[in-house]
Amino acid sequence: MSCAAHKCYGRVTSQEKRIVPQSIRPSTTARAAVFAPLAGGGRAELVQQRLTDAIELGLLTDGERLPSETEMAKKFGVATVTAREALEALRSRGLVETKRGRDGGSFVTSHGSRDTGIHERVRGLSRVELRDMAVYYAAIAGSSAELAADRTTPDDVDHLERVIAAIDGSSEAATRRGEGTFRLEVAALSQSARLVREELRLQAEFAPLLWLCLREPEYRLRSRAAHHSVVAAIATMDGERARTVTREHIGESIEWLLDAKTDLDAKGPNYAR
Amino acid sequence: MLADTVTVDGCVRAVDDTFTTIFAQIDEWRARIEFLVSAHHAIVEAPQLDELVEALVLSELERPDALIIGAGFVAAPRFLTDTDWHLAWWLGHANTFGMDSVDPAVRRLRATEDPSSENFRDYTTLEWWRVPASTGRRHITGPYVDYLCTDDYTLTLTIPVMHGRAMIGVAGADLYVNDIERTLLPLVGALGTTATIINTSGRVVVSTDAHRPTGSVLRVEGLSERLASTSGVVELTDGRVAAVCGTTSLILVLG
Repeated sequence: MSCAAHKCYGRVTSQEKRIVPQSIRPSTTARAAVFAPLAGGGRAELVQQRLTDAIELGLLTDGERLPSETEMAKKFGVATVTAREALEALRSRGLVETKRGRDGGSFVTSHGSRDTGIHERVRGLSRVELRDMAVYYAAIAGSSAELAADRTTPDDVDHLERVIAAIDGSSEAATRRGEGTFRLEVAALSQSARLVREELRLQAEFAPLLWLCLREPEYRLRSRAAHHSVVAAIATMDGERARTVTREHIGESIEWLLDAKTDLDAKGPNYAR
Repeated sequence: MLADTVTVDGCVRAVDDTFTTIFAQIDEWRARIEFLVSAHHAIVEAPQLDELVEALVLSELERPDALIIGAGFVAAPRFLTDTDWHLAWWLGHANTFGMDSVDPAVRRLRATEDPSSENFRDYTTLEWWRVPASTGRRHITGPYVDYLCTDDYTLTLTIPVMHGRAMIGVAGADLYVNDIERTLLPLVGALGTTATIINTSGRVVVSTDAHRPTGSVLRVEGLSERLASTSGVVELTDGRVAAVCGTTSLILVLG
């Protein structure tokens, strides 16, 4: 059953109460990926990386309470000591602070060095690695879109249009979350559980880098246009077009990132926007 | 093509029986929930309800060969006195959602019920709620990839739970499409011809035809109109035969 998200960590800063709940919280699906179990070695680093990305992306917001060490270890499928290690690293970078007592826990802080973190990651990866990530992601996302066009009913098309309409293009964080939600919904329409799981995994790994271009309003507009084109292609069952638009959209974003990397590399290690 | 309608009837009945058995289970839960609600004159708090639902679904979810991989009750907004939104939902041991274990314990779904939370999702917009709410009848949602609660290809069965004329929630169960395929494929396979079971949107649940993957949409012009006007077996304009599978709303298409 597709229902309310499975995580339950509260927030400390109370957001404005919404009287009418939104039908789809754009962030819900992208956030589901944040705590998905991890595979592979260097697990403390992976936990740290994923949480850092989520904070930088705004998926985890200022003042938000993180799950407890034990809970987090369970979700990531790592030892408690590994989760503790990752949290310590985040604390030392000023991204998280821990309070003791009844209302205690680990909380996301706003005064961390967000841009520096993601910039360091861009500098640390080679152009070949970045390009290869995009190639692989385009293969998954493109295939999902192509299949979706073959397997979609008019109800599904309406649903995708509502997902696009719910993305607030004036906000960088909302557009990033919306990008994740839209792609996940398209993947779901492929009717392939494996493609959906791969989409979620790649979003957790790669989305913070790939969608860095969304900090520019022009790229947010382009993103919306690409979403509309994909939905139009799906609605007319034009799988080839759905795939091409998806691939080109991802290609455009990676090229922005490679240009940004050139600038960052030239400016040296301590540059922050 | 209509020659073998006895076998078609038999197949339709067997498909119907598969779902009727599960619906009968859910319907029993519905009756018990309605009884509790009536006994308390519809003044019910979440813990009372949770206690009952847990007792009802646990034995079913704990069976080693259970088809049901998730089950429970989802309350209508503002029906319960102590909370506006509420899910009393348990996940079976075959449901590996969010777990790294291949056979996790039966456990409760942890859902966000606070509408101001980022994680909140208004379940009344989802098909498994929307359709029973508008028709007042049981409904099969899917197949669909459920990335929030099962992480897999899923069917969700729901029945409206009533108090007087008001729907106070839905009782339901999740099934893996994998398991349903294992149950249904021998039934349709026995027909000796190409046979496909689709849902009301035309989405393939199971097919003997390798060219019709589960999840693809079988687009048959005028099928729903044709089936709405008759019960039983109908011949389509292209010579194919279709039949509604009893009370399930699933459709068997031959050829």
